[in-house]
Amino acid sequence: MIFASPLPRRLKALAAACLLAGLVSAAAATGQTADIPAAGTLASPDSFATIEPTEARSAALFTELGKVLTAPRCVNCHPAGDRPRQGDERRLHQPPVFRGADGHGLPAMRCDTCHKAANFEPGRIPGHPKWQLAPLEMAWEGKTLGQICRQISAPERNGGRTLEDLVEHIGTDSLVGWAWAPGYGRTPAPGTQAQAGALVQAWIDTGAACPD
Amino acid sequence: MTSLSLTINGRAYGPMDVRDELTMNDFLREHLGLTGTKFGCGAAQCLSCAVIVDRPDGTSHTNPTCVVAAIDFDGLSIRTVEGHAKDGALTALQTAFVEHFAFQCGYCTAGFLNEAQVLLERLERQKVARGDLEEIIGQALDGHLCRCTGYVKYHQAVRDVILADPGRYLV
Repeated sequence: MIFASPLPRRLKALAAACLLAGLVSAAAATGQTADIPAAGTLASPDSFATIEPTEARSAALFTELGKVLTAPRCVNCHPAGDRPRQGDERRLHQPPVFRGADGHGLPAMRCDTCHKAANFEPGRIPGHPKWQLAPLEMAWEGKTLGQICRQISAPERNGGRTLEDLVEHIGTDSLVGWAWAPGYGRTPAPGTQAQAGALVQAWIDTGAACPD
Repeated sequence: MTSLSLTINGRAYGPMDVRDELTMNDFLREHLGLTGTKFGCGAAQCLSCAVIVDRPDGTSHTNPTCVVAAIDFDGLSIRTVEGHAKDGALTALQTAFVEHFAFQCGYCTAGFLNEAQVLLERLERQKVARGDLEEIIGQALDGHLCRCTGYVKYHQAVRDVILADPGRYLV
């Protein structure tokens, strides 16, 4: 009976905690947008029509696209080292994981050990069937937009893609598309994937010039 | 069931058949009795369950065991907290942990010890400047959770081991 008095209070506190936890879980399960930071916007290619000469317009288009390429959703998995980063703060991934020979992690800690086919909101774990790191030669972390532009234009450093391939990769690839639906607590990439693809196409159409 | 062979603290285990869904943590603790490796969050977020994986190239890294199947460690060589002391003699790192009273309940200690050991071995291969040391220790231990909040003492213990032998770890 020594706990007779405190116990009800404890139970009330426990019930309140459970209720709160339930509400939080319910909010996550229903995908309420309050927990997803607002994304930035992208200007349409038409917005750049008045820029002359064409080379400057092309570089401006890539600079606009750069809002996507330098977003945490993209750079975190295009790291300069062997460890990905995570979160809008771009902190080193925890638990410590490493690139591995194929970009899918080391033998006892593969990406898909935790990252499944879709975002798992109760655990705040992002997911996609093709979850992996970009190859080291495609690292963007710490690079200027001009450096990223020249890198992304070179097949030997962009995964063997032609410029036209980049339109599809950035504009329609579903793993890239995850950046616009990253789940709880992560700011989506700016604009939409279609808008990003349109910027890539316009950049190519204007000569694929790179900013300085 | 899948066949599993691995090396733990220099001793070969297997081949033996284990259930595919058996976690490495359960394998170590329940099958081998190596209970120094703890089960904490069960989500690879506290790293109390981390062991050292020795790579063929001579480098090492820590790896959670709570979310990883035992069979994923097939063919690997790992070290657990039981593998640090030799013939009952504590390592310099273990001694520093004790002297700093770096742990209280001790639940996270194995993970911190393994992580710090990996750091020491990395610094032996790649020495760093004294001015970078604090950040490097912080980065190395980042991710390991101590609910007794012993972070500062862990950090100080690791730093003391390094500073006690600067020629080994520092440029």
